[in-house]
Amino acid sequence: MSSTQHVLLSPAELAYLHASLSLTPPIRPDGRSPSQFRPLVAETGILPGTNGSARICFADGTEAIVGVKAEVERTRLAHDFDHNTFAAGSRLEGDFVEGSYAADAQVDAENVNEEQRVGDDDWVELTVEIPGYRDDDPGTVFLARMLGEALLADGEFARKLWINRRFHWKLFLDVILISPPLSYPLPLLSLTTHLALLSTRLPRLKSEGDEDPFFDDDWAAAPFIYSRNSSNSSSSSSSTTKDGKTSTTSRPPISLLVMAVGNNIIFDPSKEELAVADVALAVSVGEAPSAAAARGKDAMDVDTTTQDGLQRNLQILSVRTIDPPSRLTPPGVPNATNSAYGAAAVVASAQKQPEARAAESEAVEGVWKAPRGGARARVMAALVLEVLGRGGVADEVMDALDGVDLV
Amino acid sequence: MPITILAPKPTRQAHSHNGHNDDDAMSDSGSDSSGAGGDDDLDEMVSAAAAAGLKSQRDSKYEIVTPGEVITDDPQWMRGHGTYVNPATSAIISSVAGTVSRTNKLLSVRPLRARYTPEVGDLVVGRIVEVQAKRWRVDVGATQLASLPLSAINLPGGILRKRTETDELQIRTFFAEGDLLIAEVQQLFQDGGAVLHTRSLKYGKLRNGVFVAVSGMGGGGGVVRSRRQVWTMDAANGGGQIDVVLGVNGFVWISKHVETPEGLVEKAATTGITNLEESVSATMYSSQNDRIEVDTMREIARLRGVVIALVENGLRVDEDMLIRGYHEAVEMAMVSADGLDDLYLGGEKGEQLAAVLTGI
Repeated sequence: MSSTQHVLLSPAELAYLHASLSLTPPIRPDGRSPSQFRPLVAETGILPGTNGSARICFADGTEAIVGVKAEVERTRLAHDFDHNTFAAGSRLEGDFVEGSYAADAQVDAENVNEEQRVGDDDWVELTVEIPGYRDDDPGTVFLARMLGEALLADGEFARKLWINRRFHWKLFLDVILISPPLSYPLPLLSLTTHLALLSTRLPRLKSEGDEDPFFDDDWAAAPFIYSRNSSNSSSSSSSTTKDGKTSTTSRPPISLLVMAVGNNIIFDPSKEELAVADVALAVSVGEAPSAAAARGKDAMDVDTTTQDGLQRNLQILSVRTIDPPSRLTPPGVPNATNSAYGAAAVVASAQKQPEARAAESEAVEGVWKAPRGGARARVMAALVLEVLGRGGVADEVMDALDGVDLV
Repeated sequence: MPITILAPKPTRQAHSHNGHNDDDAMSDSGSDSSGAGGDDDLDEMVSAAAAAGLKSQRDSKYEIVTPGEVITDDPQWMRGHGTYVNPATSAIISSVAGTVSRTNKLLSVRPLRARYTPEVGDLVVGRIVEVQAKRWRVDVGATQLASLPLSAINLPGGILRKRTETDELQIRTFFAEGDLLIAEVQQLFQDGGAVLHTRSLKYGKLRNGVFVAVSGMGGGGGVVRSRRQVWTMDAANGGGQIDVVLGVNGFVWISKHVETPEGLVEKAATTGITNLEESVSATMYSSQNDRIEVDTMREIARLRGVVIALVENGLRVDEDMLIRGYHEAVEMAMVSADGLDDLYLGGEKGEQLAAVLTGI
């Protein structure tokens, strides 16, 4: 799979594709515009046994499903001591008595402050399954890490799983590609994960404070883990979302696959396009907490406005270089050195020693040569602008994902 | 709008609840059943068939059968392709997953997806996947790799030149892994494997264009054997001339039309070669693209989009269909907002195109 998946294309095809993608504007083999995605079919709530699920199907036939399951897990107490800042006097050393904890909880029950809601990255477990590949295949592991890393990057997600000081939710995300991987499946899996998380609901908590958690049976009352409208999340009765503060992000991040050919930035590349990429990048974009934006900590923040006037602060969470398969392609042979070409061949070159394929040659127009080097600064700058800019790709994708009905 | 997200379509009702639903979606004029003239005929035929003892709970005419499923146990039917009969009984059983088609009393099943079955004389486009000592192994979309012996290619420097050991040593200078070529099926083995040859000036390595595979389409869609598989057409909007190769195996090659490469004729003249054929055969193994104008690239991409749109909508791909589809696509682009640069023919636009083509 993955980055090293070898697409067998002839040097002439590679040269043609590279030439057509380097034009301004680029001509993509399937006629899409540079920032256009393949049309996709999406639905949520397909797996009744899960807390949230989604299915996305690309027009080329690749299809993925994601199921999210939640379990209540006891938080390791040592962990509590490390991270919770008790008042110095009430801090208990050594063995911890439940009774005193309950007494403590009564005090804090009403005002659980932000610092006490700590999350741990271990509370989320994300596995990716690609048919035909081992689950410890480097490509699969890399994909899973990349998706999980983006999810946890803002530090907010794990905190949503906090129940009380003794218990938390453990979230299992199973990402399964149903079809064979026709192209690098990162955008597909990321969008599917995004939708599944948007549709994820956790049962409403009925117990208070640090009691053993006790939940409402009514599934209809279960709040979404990512409340749909972030502005009035304070009014939601969610026990797992924040109280009052709008510092929570209202949606999971998305990871986009972007490639560059020449100075062109191309989104959602197909297999053939990826085979001639100069650079391939996985860009994770998330919604920045508005508090962070106000502080102006992150220079990459670009304020964008959605149709309904809400501010959407997008930020790039991570950019990872993916080794494009183009680096492994064999170079084309220019006619000048081709012993089977032209007059040289006609004048029976039978005596001539067969030359090895010219490994090193000057760039000749119309002859394929594998790209070298990494992403240039100019390309990166253009990329940030394309992704984050007003009405940029990330904004559009999130708008489109908003349109999917949550079941 | 860079992204379109659609809701999933409801599954087609194979067993119709209220009479006949959406008949037009799959109507295929190239159907090989004799009663393809009108829907009414077919309906009558099917109801007659139902009366004759075919599985009567199926009143839809697009019934899909799976391997091992009994189609009928009435002995009056004859078995055709995609079916078999258990020796003990007279029941006709499907051997593939596909749609049942009836021609008079002949029952056959057209597979939903099928691999290419080579036949002698087929023009195919293939991709080299393996180089061996004296032959290449070529992927032609069949169940097995086809083989192309070194003795079955045109060696540069004259058609009648004898194959030498040097040629064997430099076999990769002719075709290497990944190279695309156009060839003809010369011979078939018992197990269905094909042997190819490129001993014609029309055949050889492909360059200056794009490849698209529409293989695996059973029943109606995809490339069908037709009178002409290779042609040169005039592209609209100053795109020059474009060569189209429809391999019978469903591999399609669309490229810029190149006359005898410039410069080569003079060079050949200086080296004492006057035979044009020899000079053409000399360019056969080049992997260097010629200079291709932007207009040509744009029209090639449009043509490729038409091929994909035809296949996605279950239409056959042949010369007539492709040329009509291309002209339709050009007109659609003219009236669209982006003008001629609007190349995208996926999704709704593809359906629109298919609707226009089938409407005529």
